[in-house]
Order: sequence, then C-alpha cells, then structure tokens
Amino acid sequence: MQHVIEVVEHRGGQTRKVTFELATQARELAEKLGGTAHAVVLGNGAAQLAESLKTYPLDVVHVSEDPDVDRFLIDPTIDYVESIARATGPSVILLPNTMYGRDVASRLVARLDAGMAADVTGFEIEGGRVACIAPKLGGATITTCAFVDTDYGVVTARPNAFAAQSGGNGARVEQAAKPQSKQYVMHVESEVEEASGELGLEEAPVVVSGGRGLGGPQPFTTLLKPLADALGGAVGASRAAADAGWVPYSLQIGQTGKTVSPNLYIAVGISGAIQHKVGMRSAGTIVAVNKDASAPIAEFSDLVVVGDAFSIIPELTKLIEAAKGYIK
Amino acid sequence: MKIVVTVKVVPDLNAPKSIDPATKRLVRTGIESQLNPYDEYALEAALQLKERLGGDTTVTLLSMIPESSKETLRKALAMGADDATVLSDGALAGADVAVTARALAAALKKIGFDLVICGGLSDDGSTGGVPGALAEHLGVPGLTNARHIEIESTGLKAQRETDTGYQVVTCPLPALVSVTMAVGEPRYASLKGIMGAKRKSVSTLSAADVGVDAKPKTELLRFAPPPVRVKARIVEAADGPSGAQAIFDFLRERKLV
Ligand SMILES: Cc1cc2nc3c(=O)[nH]c(=O)nc-3n(C[C@H](O)[C@H](O)[C@H](O)COP(=O)(O)OP(=O)(O)OC[C@H]3O[C@@H](n4cnc5c(N)ncnc54)[C@H](O)[C@@H]3O)c2cc1C
Ligand SMILES: Nc1ncnc2c1ncn2[C@@H]1O[C@H](COP(=O)(O)O)[C@@H](O)[C@H]1O
Repeated sequence: MQHVIEVVEHRGGQTRKVTFELATQARELAEKLGGTAHAVVLGNGAAQLAESLKTYPLDVVHVSEDPDVDRFLIDPTIDYVESIARATGPSVILLPNTMYGRDVASRLVARLDAGMAADVTGFEIEGGRVACIAPKLGGATITTCAFVDTDYGVVTARPNAFAAQSGGNGARVEQAAKPQSKQYVMHVESEVEEASGELGLEEAPVVVSGGRGLGGPQPFTTLLKPLADALGGAVGASRAAADAGWVPYSLQIGQTGKTVSPNLYIAVGISGAIQHKVGMRSAGTIVAVNKDASAPIAEFSDLVVVGDAFSIIPELTKLIEAAKGYIK
Repeated sequence: MKIVVTVKVVPDLNAPKSIDPATKRLVRTGIESQLNPYDEYALEAALQLKERLGGDTTVTLLSMIPESSKETLRKALAMGADDATVLSDGALAGADVAVTARALAAALKKIGFDLVICGGLSDDGSTGGVPGALAEHLGVPGLTNARHIEIESTGLKAQRETDTGYQVVTCPLPALVSVTMAVGEPRYASLKGIMGAKRKSVSTLSAADVGVDAKPKTELLRFAPPPVRVKARIVEAADGPSGAQAIFDFLRERKLV
C-alpha cells in the first residue's frame, strides 16, 4: 500500500469538514508511504467541489459529473472508485465513518479483496504496513489493526478525529473515465426531505442531545435547536425521544443509532443508559444537564449541572450568542 | 419466496469485556450472549413481509457463530423464523469483514434465497461492512439502511434512510437489504412460539461444506483500555441563569466557546 485515495461524500457539491480532514490526512499518509494523494468526487456538483479541494495538499482530484451516480444507488460510484483504485495501484482508501462511507467501504472490501477498518481515529505505519487505531466494543477497548495479504485497505475514519489543514501546490483536476457501462438496477426514484439537515449529526463538531426529560417534541425545536445553532452544531436524541416520535430515528444516538464523537456533547434530560453511552462516550467534552445528580450519565461526563433544562438551556443560548457578538 | 435473515450472536453489552492477550480474541466464557440487537429488527422486517405476502414465504436464519452459541438462536426461532442454518468452523474464528462476507455468501449460495435481510451493524464487530460486501459477492442488488420494504410484481421497493429523510429505491429480486430500526420494534416471542422453537430445525455447515477461503485481511496488533475521563465536576444549579453560567464558564475554560 503506497497511495491514498479519499472518496468524497457530498450532496450537490455541498460537503462537510470531514472531507478536508481526510484530504489533509491523505497527504500525511501518502508522504509516509512514499506515494501520491488522491480524491474522488462524483455526481452532481462534483466539478465545483473539486475546485475547493484544490487548496488542499492533494496530487490529483478525479472528477465526474456522470448523472448515473445520482440516478442509481451506489453501484456507479463503486465502479468509478474501483477503476481509479486499480489504475492508481495499492492504496489506502479513505472514507468518512458515516452511512455513505460505510456503504462505499463495504462494497470495496469485496471488489478489491481489501481489508476494512471502521471508525478509525489514528494511523501508524509499522514495518511498512498501515495500521489503524479504532475504538471497539462500544469504546471499551482501543484496538490497533494492520492490513495483511492485500493491496488495498479501506478505512472509514471518524469525523473530528483529524485536523484539516489547507495548503499545497494545487491539485491537478482530472476527468475520471466512465467505467465500462453496466446495467444498473437500483433506481433512486425520489428523495424526501424530513429534517433540515444542514449539518450531518455524525460529523457535527458540537451535538446537543435531548432525551425523555424534555417531555415532548417542542423543546427539540424551541430549546435545543437554538443552542445547537449558536454553537454551530447539530441536534441529537436518545432512543426514548425517538421511540416517542418526538424526533426522527435519524437523530438517535447510541447502540442502535448513530455513533458520534464531537468536540462537545451536551446531554439534556438524558439518563445515560449504556446503549446511549456507546454512541457518544468518545466525545471530547461531555456536559450533562439533568435534574437527577445520580443519573448514570454523571459517571462519564466532564460537567454535570443538576437542574431544570427548561430554565437553564435558554439562558445558556443567550450567553453563547452574546459572547459570539463580543468576540466579533 | 425464501427470505434469509443474517443474524449474529454477540456478547451482552452490559457485561465487562476483555480480550485474550494470547489469541487476541474476545473472551466469551462467562459472558451471556444475545442476538445482535440490530438483527432482531432485520428479523422483524422479514416476519412482517412474511405476514403480508403469506403463501409459501419462509424465513430462514443464517448465522456464522461458534457451535456453542447456537442455542441463542432459539429466541429468533421463537419470534417466528422457520428454521436456521449455522456456519460454524474453528477456521472461521477471528473472521474479519472480508472473511465473514465471503463465508456468508458461500453459505447463501448453498441454501438459496430470494431476499436477504441484514442488520445495519454488529455490536461487537461494528464495521457495518458485511451487508455491502455480501451483496457484491452474491452479485445481487444491495440496498442498505431500508426503513420500509415492499415486494411488488417487478421486485423490491424500499424507503432508504438518508441523513435528512429518505429515498425511494427500487430493484429486482433476488436482492439484499439491510434495515434500520425504524422498520418496527421486534416482536416478543409468544408462548406458542417458544414451545414451537424447540422443534425447529437448526442445521450446521462447516467451512469445507461451503468451500470458503478464511484468510483475514486485517490483523489485530494490540489493544489498550480507553483513556480515562477524570471524574465529573458536579454543579447544583440554584436557578436557570446560574446553571447556564456554570456551563458557559466551563466551556470557556476548555476553550470551546
Ligand atoms: C436493544 C436496545 C437498544 C437500545 N439502543 C439505544 C440507543 O441506540 N440509544 C439510546 O439512547 N437508547 C437506546 N436504548 C434505550 C436505553 O436503554 C434507554 O432506555 C434510553 O437511552 C433512555 O433514554 P433517556 O435517557 O432519554 O430517558 P430516561 O432514561 O427516562 O432519562 C430521562 C432523564 O431526564 C432527566 N430529566 C427529567 N426531566 C428533566 C428536566 N426538566 N431537566 C433536566 N433533566 C430532566 C431525568 O432525571 C432522567 O435522567 C436501547 C435499549 C435496548 C434494549
Ligand atoms: N457472523 C455473522 N453471522 C451472521 N450475520 C452477520 C455476521 N456478522 C455480521 N452479520 C450481519 O451483518 C450485519 C452488519 O454487521 P457488521 O458488518 O459486523 O457490523 C449484522 O447486523 C448481521 O446482519
């Protein structure tokens, strides 16, 4: 494994911070391995996004706006990435650890006869081999795994785990050739928007999460959303809140929901059951707002404020908004 | 229609876990095992389809687990699956995504299927990599993260969860889908189901039976406990503003605002 290829997740050219984190990491790894750093951007809006990637230290950005990429589920994407990977040679393929990233990675495992490492938070090169650091067993252990007997290692990397640093000489943007045309059969018939998802939960640097303690759907929009907005973050939820129908399941964090590792996690009216904990325990800083000082969440938080969420959260939002004004 | 649900047996989430330094595998002795929670949702989706389709629709469980974990599958049989096939072989212990997907694909080709339903994530492996790799090896459409599945005359139609809502995706059968928990809460086993499960067939296949290459593509080098968090600072908030101030000061201290 010598080269590094980042596969970029985006929607219509809009992407997230993790894309730039991985572009930066691609260069660092490629340097250590003595290879080249690539990005692949596919589908509607790819060309425009490729331009903004040029300010990152990549060698080549492979681009195609082929409409098949959005018309059909995943298969055209995999064909493009496979052919770019084969033309590039033995490589580490980097994706974000999101639904999209895991999907693409899992296909590549079979296509390229590759190894896969998920939810990776760090890399080491040992004896010329690439090893990946990742928490396992719900964060109970931190593992280091190396790729063996394969030319390709597919990695889904945890958002917020790596720094993004622009710079470099300007990558070469290359048109990716359309892979030999196949009959694609998974048709995307329509897209339905339910939640305003400007920021993906899994990649948000700040997550403000609510639980049963909020008592209903309204506080998620009137209490948590303004705080999340003020902090530049996203709203999440416990399963109790999702089960009650207060928020869509796509906001659920935990064992049967999403795994997040923001710099800051604020748990509001969440008791901190083990199934919730495994989805957020690796956040940088954890703040809990809970009426009950003995709630399990206190065992793995950095700060617990014992009190009523309804009176605390709006005041906190005001303080943060005011501070931002002051700094500007 | 033959539906196959892939289910894994995993250690109880609440049990303290350790890795054996010699084998670098999870110590399973003394730890209760359970069905992978996600896979109960996959089974629920299958049972819902069976109810809707009626006729000769069957639901088979496929699980690659050690022989000793077989009994855990009774719960899934009691929920309503018709039978189970277990792929069990010492050569498969320590399988990674690459090996698991290959092995399950080989077993699926042997037992046959019209629709494979997978969970989204296993509790112990947690790569979410098996369903996609499995679809590739089977050479069938692989539709992940479905929250609703319908069978139509032309094939399959699913609502597929995205970050902001869902997509409607169609594909022909045979196919593979993985589900999210929005498919519906897994049902409880009825008493009749529990009694009936005892008589249901659980057959075993070995690696040689399906002819699988069990060479993993990843190797665990080492493991360490996670960094410990210092004990939380606890602040009793006299009122809203003082509680808010305590959080604000803390965030300032940590340079988060
Ligand atoms: C197989 C399985 C999978 C699961 N997967 C998940 C998962 O992925 N994610 C998940 O979250 N859960 C999951 N659960 C559920 C989990 O066990 C808990 O039931 C759930 O997390 C509880 O949610 P909660 O903390 O919001 O509610 P509760 O446990 O009811 O806690 C509510 C908290 O709010 C506090 N409170 C009440 N009023 C206020 C107020 N005005 N101000 C401040 N605090 C207040 C209370 O003191 C309490 O601590 C799973 C369970 C199972 C069995
Ligand atoms: N050993 C296994 N036996 C049967 N199914 C499995 C096995 N491992 C993974 N799966 C299926 O693949 C899904 C995703 O698992 P994973 O890729 O390990 O996170 C699970 O929810 C199961 O449906």
